[in-house]
Amino acid sequence: MAFNCHQRDDDIDEEDETPSKLPRCKKEMPGYFDNEPQNEAAAGRATPERLASNSTARHRKDSVKKTRPPFPWFGMDIGGTLVKLVYFEPKDITAEEEQEEVENLKSIRRFLTSNTAYGTTGIRDVHLELQDLTLCGRTGNLHFIRFPTHDLPAFLQMGRNKHFSSLHTTLCATGGGAFKFESDFRTMADLELHKLDELDCLVRGVLYIDSVMSSGPLECYYFEDPTDPDHCAQKPYTLENPYPMLLVNIGSGVSILAVYSENNYKRVTGTSLGGGTFLGLCCLLTGCSTFEEALEMASQGESTRVDKLVRDIYGGDYERFGLPGWAVASSFGNMMSKEKRESVSKEDLARATLVTITNNIGSITRMCALNENIERVVFVGNFLRVNTLSMKLLAYAMDYWSKGQLKALFLRHEGYFGAVGALLELLHPS
Amino acid sequence: ICSVLFKSKVNYAFSSPAFPWFGMDIGGTLVKLVYFEPVDITAEEEQEEVENLKSIRRYLTSNVAYGKTGVRDVHLELRNLTMCGRTGNLHFIRFPTQAMPRFIQMGRDKNFSSLHTTLCATGGGAYKFENDFRTMADLELLKLDELDCLIRGLLFIDRVGFNGHPECYYFQNPSDPHSCVKKPCNLDNPFPMLLVNIGSGVSILAVYSENDYKRVTGTSLGGGTFLGLCCLLTGCETFEEALEMASKGDSTNVDKLVKDIYGGDYERFGLQGSAVASSFGHMMCKEKRDSISKEDLARATLITITNNIGSIARMCALNEKIERVVFVGNFLRINTLSTKLLAYAMDFWSKGQLRALFLEHEGYFGAVGALMELLKTSEDL
Repeated sequence: MAFNCHQRDDDIDEEDETPSKLPRCKKEMPGYFDNEPQNEAAAGRATPERLASNSTARHRKDSVKKTRPPFPWFGMDIGGTLVKLVYFEPKDITAEEEQEEVENLKSIRRFLTSNTAYGTTGIRDVHLELQDLTLCGRTGNLHFIRFPTHDLPAFLQMGRNKHFSSLHTTLCATGGGAFKFESDFRTMADLELHKLDELDCLVRGVLYIDSVMSSGPLECYYFEDPTDPDHCAQKPYTLENPYPMLLVNIGSGVSILAVYSENNYKRVTGTSLGGGTFLGLCCLLTGCSTFEEALEMASQGESTRVDKLVRDIYGGDYERFGLPGWAVASSFGNMMSKEKRESVSKEDLARATLVTITNNIGSITRMCALNENIERVVFVGNFLRVNTLSMKLLAYAMDYWSKGQLKALFLRHEGYFGAVGALLELLHPS
Repeated sequence: ICSVLFKSKVNYAFSSPAFPWFGMDIGGTLVKLVYFEPVDITAEEEQEEVENLKSIRRYLTSNVAYGKTGVRDVHLELRNLTMCGRTGNLHFIRFPTQAMPRFIQMGRDKNFSSLHTTLCATGGGAYKFENDFRTMADLELLKLDELDCLIRGLLFIDRVGFNGHPECYYFQNPSDPHSCVKKPCNLDNPFPMLLVNIGSGVSILAVYSENDYKRVTGTSLGGGTFLGLCCLLTGCETFEEALEMASKGDSTNVDKLVKDIYGGDYERFGLQGSAVASSFGHMMCKEKRDSISKEDLARATLITITNNIGSIARMCALNEKIERVVFVGNFLRINTLSTKLLAYAMDFWSKGQLRALFLEHEGYFGAVGALMELLKTSEDL
């Protein structure tokens, strides 16, 4: 199997010792910032980022590109099911800047920040907002917005109506859709996309968010006692010295990466049985239409009526190979029997679908962790959004089947890391 | 073990066990039964033969179907086989595990217990139904591990061959539907091999020698999942119906492919546009749900389960550093679609490093292994 190793060879940061860092723009910018003493102060203040020797490391790069990009600052990840958008809302706008600001830029800012829902399907995840963030010398809030990829045409239409293209901003986009819809952006909204690889962006975004969150509510967490439903508790985890880590991105499909350092990772493998499979099968089996409905049903069902367990075949444990009676021997295995089909509920089917997909991902992940000799597994992606059931199942599976060797970790910003990575590319091009 | 006995054909110096000779594998979905029908019975022996033994032999060999669900796979019969000094035909019979109570009942009706024969059984059901055999038919099972039996049975059948033909085969040019052709092969020097047993669920074994193997891993997404999901999604009731539907469907209407997300290949990581990115990924969209057929769903289920097994097998082969992957189990019975898909997947994703092998007696090796244990046990007397 060809392992695709990707080294970002423009990043020669030998001086940088810190495990994760926030690249910073240099302060010597042309006139634009001359009258902004608060910016200097902001830059000098201890921000959530770990500064360390960053500035020296970035010096080489920034000498090449001295200008900060014009607003608005977006990062976009156009996935198979959802579009993830991060938007940086500057809060340090001076009176002067505000006066010079073009109308449509102002209107975009107002539209995005004064709503939490857009159209019928767009949503701003307010609880994920990062406030008082300093990016590229500006202070502001980072907003996290999502909408179905299915509604991208409406989004493009909006971009056209708001004359987004007149802002001459670069739109950094990642995900498959950045490639698939490239010409649509061009023809429908006169916008040129700067296309980026989704896994590069993912890794970059994960490492950045974790670094800026070190002083706030921790981004990273795990489950203590995952096997005990009464005591199973979410606990914060500091992802210092994060390498090596296995990064499992569960979107429509799944990619599994082994990350050795910020610029050194490989895609170990993937599986097509992902979040899209869960939702697709649920819709077919239960008649539901949304992810939230599917999860709601799953939370009320009993998968053991649907699955054939080891004890259904052995009458107990399969001791010889350490398979407990409650382990699933054959997912949906009871459903070949008409009687059993008639006795299960839609909720049971939804639960079984969730458990099947989740356990399969867990199993494959465990094999990868074992083979790559990595103990820390970080799960991201929107399959885990509002999906505590799967998270706990993954936490449990990793712990149980590895006899405590592996630890499952989760991140609050779940599916947004690709978009964050794209935004970072806008601000600090590699 | 028995090979030594093969040479001393009509030598009853060794005490071979009392007839009938059965090997049984009680799985999650199917019971596999192998029965040795002696054809070298002397006139004397025949005269002494008890009535119910004769009746069992006649019943099994003069029918190809038993009750409503029992089937004898005649095309798999091994003729003129010598086992434990006797010559005969080896028959391969299967019926759903659900029909087990009826089978035990039959054993009682035919006074099977009076024959004082040992009934060697493997599979989970050997444990699950042990009591039922005892209480309902006064039969004591000799319980054997299913994976031990699988390996023993497989190596034996490959050794004796399939009526003069090779038991093992592979596909040449699996990636090209026009030139893809089945070719025989020998499992000489079979070790090490990765053995993937696809029954209701899946076990993956790394086999280093006849007595040295380990269970690498397994997956619960197996044949039972394929059939269970198909029944739910299409309303079909049997494995054969499910396969029939799958053969007529188009899974790309159901699955979200890389090209549906990227508009083409995802070149950076070597993923072709035609690769599946998200199985059943289109089904979250009502329009698409309304536009696909039951056949498409059956096909997608087959592809999904098969590819998942292939993917996991490939990872194991890579990590165990084994190039030969042997697929067995009744999921592959009359399932050329999956067989070819596995052959293709192993070849394609490993860039020709891995080879997928298949065996004609697919799901019967556990039962054969159990039979061999019966014969081996007698040798120790």
